[in-house]
Amino acid sequence: MADLSHAAAKSVTDRLTATLRRVALSEYLVLWLSVIYFLALAPFTPGLVSPENLVNLLVALLPLFLVALGQTFVLITGGIDLSVTSTIALSSVVGASIVNGNNGWLAGQWFAAPVAVLAMLALGAAVGALNGLAITRLRMPPFIVTLTGMMFFSGLAIWFTQSKNIGGLPVAFTRLGGNGWLAGAIALATGAFAHLMLTRSLFGRWLFATGHNARTAYLSGVPVRGVTLAAYVICGFCAALAAVLYTGQAETGSPVLGQRVLLDVIGATIIGGTSLFGGKGKVLWTLCGVLFLKLVDNSLNLLNLSIFTITMVKGGVILFAALLDATRHRLAGSRP
Amino acid sequence: MKFTSLATTLSLLIALLFTGCSKSRPAASAAGTSSERKLTVGVAFETLQTGYWVAGFEAIRHELASRDYAMLEAVADGDANRQLEQVKSFITRKVDGIILVPKDAQTCLPMIKAANAAGIPIVLFNRPAEKSEARSVAVVADNFALTRETVAYQIGVARASGGRREAMILIGDLGDINAVGRRDGFDAAVKGQEDIVDVVARVPTEWSQEKAQAGVVNALQAHPNISFIFTSSDFLLPSIVSALKSVGKYHKVGEPGHVLLAGFDGDATAYAMLKDGYLDATGVQDVSFEAKQAVQAILDLRAGKAVPDLILDPGFVIHQKNLSEKSSQMWGAGVGKK
Repeated sequence: MADLSHAAAKSVTDRLTATLRRVALSEYLVLWLSVIYFLALAPFTPGLVSPENLVNLLVALLPLFLVALGQTFVLITGGIDLSVTSTIALSSVVGASIVNGNNGWLAGQWFAAPVAVLAMLALGAAVGALNGLAITRLRMPPFIVTLTGMMFFSGLAIWFTQSKNIGGLPVAFTRLGGNGWLAGAIALATGAFAHLMLTRSLFGRWLFATGHNARTAYLSGVPVRGVTLAAYVICGFCAALAAVLYTGQAETGSPVLGQRVLLDVIGATIIGGTSLFGGKGKVLWTLCGVLFLKLVDNSLNLLNLSIFTITMVKGGVILFAALLDATRHRLAGSRP
Repeated sequence: MKFTSLATTLSLLIALLFTGCSKSRPAASAAGTSSERKLTVGVAFETLQTGYWVAGFEAIRHELASRDYAMLEAVADGDANRQLEQVKSFITRKVDGIILVPKDAQTCLPMIKAANAAGIPIVLFNRPAEKSEARSVAVVADNFALTRETVAYQIGVARASGGRREAMILIGDLGDINAVGRRDGFDAAVKGQEDIVDVVARVPTEWSQEKAQAGVVNALQAHPNISFIFTSSDFLLPSIVSALKSVGKYHKVGEPGHVLLAGFDGDATAYAMLKDGYLDATGVQDVSFEAKQAVQAILDLRAGKAVPDLILDPGFVIHQKNLSEKSSQMWGAGVGKK
């Protein structure tokens, strides 16, 4: 009898362990963490579950998702782009200079908003292309290229505006970021396109091959240089698209726009599961990482914690997520 | 996990989020039940990086506590988009009023519009918004008049000491209306005083100590005879002191080679330098007055009373001659004493 109950207890324990192991090894662990975090904090966090707050949360994560999306492409190749923040700032002031109603280059013209958006996207792609060319043609390390790029383009944005903000943006432009539905549609369409590009296209396979082992990929006929260059162009393009949303939300072109989001961008992408060492990453992982990070941010604000506490807790949560990720990798390595 | 199962999970998450909405607690939960709920004010600061903002934050906290009101706080760490999220969070929690220190005059407009749309009174503390259809009240120091008065005192000292002086001004971030007011106040004070003051250097600092220090060092190299300095904020004084020390020009008032030095704000560094005899004068913002006015404006707006768009803090100039008389009113003199 004792043996039977012991066996039953062992069976329950084994099943529980197997379930926990399955959850821990799930590709979408961060999503589960978000659900658990949300449910755990909902009773104690005033306003967390209110519709207005959920809409705010979703709208706030859209631009960050777009920047992180571009970063995912670069990280998959094994690179990194630290210049995304200055790309956001530079695109913002150039777009605002074109479209603003005070002294904009196309002030009052019906086509000012679309031209400004196109110019911003072209500028973002051009910055990405410069980074990509320096990395692939001059064989410079991505960290150094994009770090110096960040300094240069940030300085350029400040010089361009003489450190002044540009207001007076028309509604046709600001609603792209200010209207949640429109911003959501832009982010959703870009995310879906990027997902298809990574999972269903030859370019996607080349990208992963380059990240896994650039030398082997090259010997297998993958145009490694072109693929890497394209990843940086996409990253710059996505940063500029995020700038359209950020600028619309703030209704101002600012030379310091996005200056503080770099850690959030890298953090969200890595928390989602994209590897810093290349060869691994998904659009949906990045979305989950961004959701988790913004959820933590939002809930801590609602809990009325001071900025110092928020910063410490946020750092702790990111560290916890990273530790969990490392444990997961160990578990995956010891999988029978 | 396949895409379809992920889609199911995402749908589940969204369903959970919106199911949770039905269990949403009333906003009154921010501070008690609706019947006996305290008045709650959301206080959103762009930064707490300088002594002035910390003093302002504490003065508002003290003012609200003295009236037994609840305070929700948020600091955006220099990120305007984050501050917009924070203001929206306040609105979500249905606060009774918002006191805002924005990053600049433009990026606060969507925040003011959001508060207007929600019918929540919003008061800008020490940094007004650009003119627009968005409705807000701003409590600010009279930057122009106070700077003009401070620099006029400095010019008077220069005139009394005799001789023409080469001058330098440290300018703040010109996206900040306060910085513009102080620059204009300086220009108005030196206008017509060319026989005493020759402005040879204008250092743009963008409110950065590093940029200020580099700018002052460069200006002192280019114009070694500079002996008259005005800084648009006292928090830049350490940068000036460091640069003056490096060229051997940091001397007390009355000592040979003393560089006439004046500032704006009235922080703890300025107080210490006044007391030690290194600073000639500074324009003091009355933090306590501004905090009281900001809270009162919220109450008046809620009561439907007419409140002017701009409430000016006249401030006062403190200098070597009135230091003992005025120091008790200088907020920087009280820092760390409580």
